[in-house]
Amino acid sequence: MARFIGRRLLLMVPTLVLVSILVFALSEILPGDLGRFILGPYASQSAVTQLDHKLGFDKPIYVRYFEWAGHFVTGHWGTSYQYTNLSVFSIVEHALGNSLLLAGFALVIIVPTSIAVGVFAGLRRDSLLDRIITVSSLSMTVIPEFVSGVILIVIFAVELNWLPASATPPVGSPFVDRFYYLILPAIPLMLLELGYIARMARAGTVQVLNQPYIRTATLKGLPQRRVVFSHVLRNALVPTVTVIGSQVGWLIGGLVVIETVFVYPGIGNYTVHAALNHDQPLLEACVLVIAVIYMVSNLVADVVVALLNPRIRKSS
Amino acid sequence: MTDEQYAREYGHHLVEEVLKGKMTRRQLIVRASVFGLSATVVGQLLAACGSSGGGGTATTPSASASAPAVVTGGTLKAVIPPPLKTLDPVTIYDQGGIVLVYQVAEYLIDLSNTNALVPKLALTWKPNQKGDVWTFTLRQGVTFNDGSPFEAADVVASIERVINPKSGSGALAALAGILSPGHTKAVDTHTVEFDLDKPFADFPYLVSSSSYNTAILPRNYDNDFQKKPVGTGPWMIKKFVTNQSVTMVKNPSYWGKDAQGRQLPYLDSLEFVLVTDAPPANLQLQNHQVDVQPQTVFQGGASVLNDPNLRVDVYPSSGIREVAFNINKAPWQDKNLRQAVAYCLDRNAINKALYGGRSNLGYDTFWEPTVFPGSPTPAVRAQDYDKAKSLLSAAGHANGIDVTLTVANYLENPAYAQLIASQCKPAGINVKINEISYNAIYAGSNSTTPWLNAPMVIVEWGSRPTPGVYAQAMLLPTSAWSSSHWNNPDFVTAFNSYESTTDESTRSTLATKLSQIQQDDTPILVAFFISQLRTQWKNVYGIQGPGSFYFNAAQAYIAK
Repeated sequence: MARFIGRRLLLMVPTLVLVSILVFALSEILPGDLGRFILGPYASQSAVTQLDHKLGFDKPIYVRYFEWAGHFVTGHWGTSYQYTNLSVFSIVEHALGNSLLLAGFALVIIVPTSIAVGVFAGLRRDSLLDRIITVSSLSMTVIPEFVSGVILIVIFAVELNWLPASATPPVGSPFVDRFYYLILPAIPLMLLELGYIARMARAGTVQVLNQPYIRTATLKGLPQRRVVFSHVLRNALVPTVTVIGSQVGWLIGGLVVIETVFVYPGIGNYTVHAALNHDQPLLEACVLVIAVIYMVSNLVADVVVALLNPRIRKSS
Repeated sequence: MTDEQYAREYGHHLVEEVLKGKMTRRQLIVRASVFGLSATVVGQLLAACGSSGGGGTATTPSASASAPAVVTGGTLKAVIPPPLKTLDPVTIYDQGGIVLVYQVAEYLIDLSNTNALVPKLALTWKPNQKGDVWTFTLRQGVTFNDGSPFEAADVVASIERVINPKSGSGALAALAGILSPGHTKAVDTHTVEFDLDKPFADFPYLVSSSSYNTAILPRNYDNDFQKKPVGTGPWMIKKFVTNQSVTMVKNPSYWGKDAQGRQLPYLDSLEFVLVTDAPPANLQLQNHQVDVQPQTVFQGGASVLNDPNLRVDVYPSSGIREVAFNINKAPWQDKNLRQAVAYCLDRNAINKALYGGRSNLGYDTFWEPTVFPGSPTPAVRAQDYDKAKSLLSAAGHANGIDVTLTVANYLENPAYAQLIASQCKPAGINVKINEISYNAIYAGSNSTTPWLNAPMVIVEWGSRPTPGVYAQAMLLPTSAWSSSHWNNPDFVTAFNSYESTTDESTRSTLATKLSQIQQDDTPILVAFFISQLRTQWKNVYGIQGPGSFYFNAAQAYIAK
């Protein structure tokens, strides 16, 4: 297991290098000019050219890349081009913290709920309840989060005034208030993920229930609760854990739409604005952090799967 | 009844007729002018007319008679877009940055709700006989919020800074050809003299809050405004959370007092919630997480504009969506073709489609009395396909023509482009729309950037305080921001004369000539002047400023 984890961690390095090169190259293609963005459309061309030179934007791309990479790997992430008073590290730290909080809050609700719903549906396969759960969870998955998000805000924030329209409490609010503000944005995430994860859990449960060892356990006289928790769940959740692992990365780094609708300063939003505004140091840092999260969450999922299923553990 | 009383009564009657919908504002101008009311009075009457339609409770901002008594204390929350970059008054150009700087720093001159000049850090401003030297006397007893005294040296440093080519300030282009470095001097501690390159009657506007880079900063300012936000304004930044919020507290040493002698500002603090996109901002306003939205965008704002809890203030602003014909590029050298496009437009329909009918119509000239009171009334250009086809034929395209219109994917610009294309088609002018990103339209150098070089392009312009400032910015061969590259010697000669005199009668005659030349030659289309909307909860009063980034909260208060 240690070798498996070590190998996966080592593989992350070339992946991150490749990602950083791709992002650097792609950001060159984006229209616009950094000096022009900073000074605006009405500044003189000479001032723009001067600023581009000061920022090193007129150097060849490979020179700029290696300069940036050299600083990055030694922990000097630089200053944002947009927010020159802030270090990239402080921005990413702040944004990542926000994203982790939202993702964690959503996962705490999504994971047990969707697993419970999926296993329940699988245990009552082909029943009316199973059909209702399957159809409704699938329907919720296809509703885009910007649609469900806005509808929720209009109903619960504007019309009923039960919940706030944004996910960010006023500055100086106690930490616990943040969870109150995260209720509404967590709901569209739940609607999206619940169907997806629940169906995986249902499929896994149905497959395991057909196995001979489950029939043996039942015929041995074990209580159904023990059969489900000791034998069914452990095997049924293998594909579900894999899916959850792949979704964690999206929940942390891919929530641009939710962050926009609910005005939440997460890492997804910062990444988009950094790309649009040619803020290369911030863009690179955000993308690499998100890439690391994706890879680590998949690794953790694989480790959990290996722990659940000794055959996988031994073969790896 | 005296003549004065009679004039006042007649003025009230005209306003009532407009408010009842029995008369348009244009008709008010005509009748008031025939009656002999002065341009100043006409402007006041127009301001009293306020909203030109829409749902919700739209009111004239100057109708303060019904406002409840002032309540001091409390916090007002406003939602604005986040500053695009670190705050620096010298180089700001975005709405979020301008609004924030406007709270902390001040200008020599400010604008009233009707775009008139209002003394701020300058008390008086006078030209010499020739109009090329302006002398400003400064307000005394003012200090910056760090305790240092405000003096003429600070003004000199601030203006010199923005016209220094190395600063990268947008003010450099605005003042190019009018004020050169080294020509601003302190006569004494509270008198400043501007020695202009040429006479320019509208010069005070160029150092007013409408020229947002000319905020007066301490003489030793070191491009560190966000770290040390020093200004003479009513507010001080207490906490700045990037992309989230800005908290300001009142400046205890602020010089301002209201008409009753009460210390300003009334409120204890301001909180600006930073939201990039309009729909979430609108929802926060409706949810009452914020009290006011300094600028409500028409597009997508129907729910806010029709919310019974909110009050919408409408300001007849001069912001436009310029449609520029690059006369150096085919096929726009021929003015017949340019006019043909102008006669294809149904301006009422465009106004209704884009702004719910709230904006003021334009007729391809900046001298429009509904926006700039006292301007000559231009000839109306209604949609006329027979005329358009005749002009098209005169331009040698009787069988039709294909043209390309470049537009940024920004606000209502794409919708406007679609309307132009659909309205030009029946005349045989096939408009192909080249829609590109906002960054792309401003990318590149001055000789390559699309907004200054495309054959036909839509460019958005924020409000400008006078037609002369607009013309200086984009209609002269020396203009830094001319998308049309128009070069009309008659216009240039008349414009130079117009700006070299402060005599109202002479300026009025020249304004008529300038308006006619601009309209006739049609280097650009100005189909409308966009009204600015400020939306607030009904218990919020006292916010001053003619909309957009002019968010003056010194006299704002929240009624109980």
